[in-house]
Amino acid sequence: MFSTNSLLTLLWWALYTILGVSAQKIVPGVDFLAPGIVLSMQEEEGHRTVILAVAWILLLEGMGNLPFGYGLAWYGLLVSFYFVGRWLFEARSFLFMVLLGVGLGVLHPVLIYSLSRLGNLSVQVYPTLIEGAVQAIVFPIVWMLADQLFPKRLRQDVKSL
Amino acid sequence: MKKPKKIAIVIVVGLFVYLSMYTWNLRTGHLDALSSYTGLDISGLILRPCVWAKDRVTGFWERYVFLVGLKQQNDRLRDLAAELKRKNMLMREGLHSVARLEKLLDFSPPPEWNFSGARVIAHRMGPAGSLDTLTVDKGSASGAENDMPVVCLDGVVGRVLRSGAVASSILLLTDSNSRIAVIGDQNRSPGMLSGQGYGQPLEVRYINLNAVIDPGELLLSSGLSGIYPKGLPVARVTKVRRSDISLFLTVLAEPLVDVAGLEEVLLLKRESGHLAGQAPADEEAEAGVLDQ
Repeated sequence: MFSTNSLLTLLWWALYTILGVSAQKIVPGVDFLAPGIVLSMQEEEGHRTVILAVAWILLLEGMGNLPFGYGLAWYGLLVSFYFVGRWLFEARSFLFMVLLGVGLGVLHPVLIYSLSRLGNLSVQVYPTLIEGAVQAIVFPIVWMLADQLFPKRLRQDVKSL
Repeated sequence: MKKPKKIAIVIVVGLFVYLSMYTWNLRTGHLDALSSYTGLDISGLILRPCVWAKDRVTGFWERYVFLVGLKQQNDRLRDLAAELKRKNMLMREGLHSVARLEKLLDFSPPPEWNFSGARVIAHRMGPAGSLDTLTVDKGSASGAENDMPVVCLDGVVGRVLRSGAVASSILLLTDSNSRIAVIGDQNRSPGMLSGQGYGQPLEVRYINLNAVIDPGELLLSSGLSGIYPKGLPVARVTKVRRSDISLFLTVLAEPLVDVAGLEEVLLLKRESGHLAGQAPADEEAEAGVLDQ
């Protein structure tokens, strides 16, 4: 049986996913779910982050139109950036989130270009640069909003390294 | 083992596993199918209520509140209906004559196509959506299949790129990976229409220097590739330039469909029993090529 906290967690992330997918429909090329991965790593046990990441990778890949691989590399590198960054920065600082956003903003056109080359597809690079810039701005803002709204009773402090 | 060495090994092994998985999926398409039947369908299910609510609100506003210009629009539509009726009457007899003549000359009848309507629920979505696509609310459960032609009343829209159970993504003709074999409406010069991205003109490739093609000429699908039926309107020629260094004319065209404003589309399905002798896109799809 689900405990009340598990049910609340499920509901919270389901609502976040619905809002994230709707936002991605309105602003194409930008990932509104990525800040949720970071928030989950900061506030929850690891297995929950893994479940979220797997579900969202499938969602990103399904919504997208490149051959499978973007979502895996996207979230894999986001998690790597987060763990590497934690050696230098306070895990919950806004500055760290801004830097993560910039990292994702640079990563987006690089990944799109590399994967489209691998898949023998032709993709226009200029729009992906703009999407990367928007991603860099959106990431810390969405993280901050989600962090403010994340229920206190579900928070689990994660010690910085 | 020292830590930097360990990290380097992890990176190399991770990259190897990732690239192996990527190439395996390019060859088999299993992971694409998995993501279509999970991610694409779930996103479709999430977006469908939003689209429904938006349609209800805008529909209520347009039908019951905002009635400015309704009379003028009604008059215009009446005139248009009358004109279409006249044209239809004149063309019906011609169509019957063609059918009689084809039967007389022992032509095999062209394949029959079934239409089924689908509602557009989204355009490009998510960071991995870098191709010009749109998502419709019909999937394999409703008979949608990969490479099915997609049209609207104005002309060709594109083709089904990927289909989930209840949603499909459509590759638009404006995408730079789209290729459609076309033929001129008047001068019958064949070529290959390819997109150059949304908002950019389409390019008609491989039209010989001595071929006749005029600005304003309608381009129809030639039906040569086996994906699109012959004779669908696709684009209109806007510019024809003769190049000094190429063996082909430089021909630009504009799509007949405003892809950004599409709300409904039609999926075309070939009636079963007409596949013999055709070489559909399966081979091309297997080769990982998106173009027609």
